[in-house]
Amino acid sequence: MDNADSISKLLRLKRYEQPSEEYFQNFLLEFQNRQRSEVIHRPLLQIAWDRCSSLFDLVSMPRLVMASSFAAAVIAAAFVWNPADNAPSTLTIASTGLASLPGPKAQLSSGKTGSAVQYVLPAKPVSYASARSF
Amino acid sequence: MEPPDPTDEELVRRTQAGDARAFDELVLRFSPRLYGLVYHMTSSHEDTNDLLQDIFSKAYRSIKGFQGKSTFYTWMHTIAVNMAINFLKKRNRRKTTSLDDEDNGLINDPDFIAATSQGDPSRDVNLGELQKKLNESMQKLSHEHRAVVTMFDIQGMPHSEISKVLKISEGTVRSRLFYAHRQLQNYLKEFINT
Repeated sequence: MDNADSISKLLRLKRYEQPSEEYFQNFLLEFQNRQRSEVIHRPLLQIAWDRCSSLFDLVSMPRLVMASSFAAAVIAAAFVWNPADNAPSTLTIASTGLASLPGPKAQLSSGKTGSAVQYVLPAKPVSYASARSF
Repeated sequence: MEPPDPTDEELVRRTQAGDARAFDELVLRFSPRLYGLVYHMTSSHEDTNDLLQDIFSKAYRSIKGFQGKSTFYTWMHTIAVNMAINFLKKRNRRKTTSLDDEDNGLINDPDFIAATSQGDPSRDVNLGELQKKLNESMQKLSHEHRAVVTMFDIQGMPHSEISKVLKISEGTVRSRLFYAHRQLQNYLKEFINT
């Protein structure tokens, strides 16, 4: 008998190394439970990534382009969601503190809108000023 | 008269449309076959169970991207083989376990009888010993060779199908089989009928 045939016959015996049908029924239940728990515990970013993957799979986009697009989208989203309106209020808080300080370190002036804060800094940096003046 | 079972393609279409039960049917249909594929590559039932869960999860997440360029069968096998090979690359340990109590049919298989005791004391081995030796021999093959041997010799897939799953030429499949068989002949000398 050909040795290759003998090897094939021996290897075919490994087909019997299979669990019972009951195992596969339980396997399905385990799979369903796992799917449910994945849906509950998946982070938002991963859901977004998967949605993008599915979308780009449809248009056959290379993975590198897809990753770049996704990164660009995340950065853009970060800019959009960054609350620009918070900036003046932060400045207002900061400027209130500064305004109460003596000296010409910063002068505050309110514009026509009333909410915009403008700093008018002295021409010479503070640190360049002579420590002694006569 | 009962309606015929839906085809794989039909179940895929229904899953893509959001019917999770259709995917459950695909899991039931494919898990025994994929279990065999992964188990014969890992030789560990515990690892196979975990890996098979990951394989079906991945398939479920990616199924919307399945365009039917290959059969669903080939697509699933490709996912399974790639994930099994990646898993094996990461796995440092080599553990082999066998299913001594679950393969009752093996004892009556004529090939098993021929390969074991035939009045020749040198071949008077038991079932556990043969399984252990087969698993050990498989683990000595490279991941790529093991994948080809599993699909061809154990699962009975034709060369053409294996070449589609592994995205290699049929010639490469045949050459991998040739070298893998030659290697296995050395490890399993005592069981081969000459």
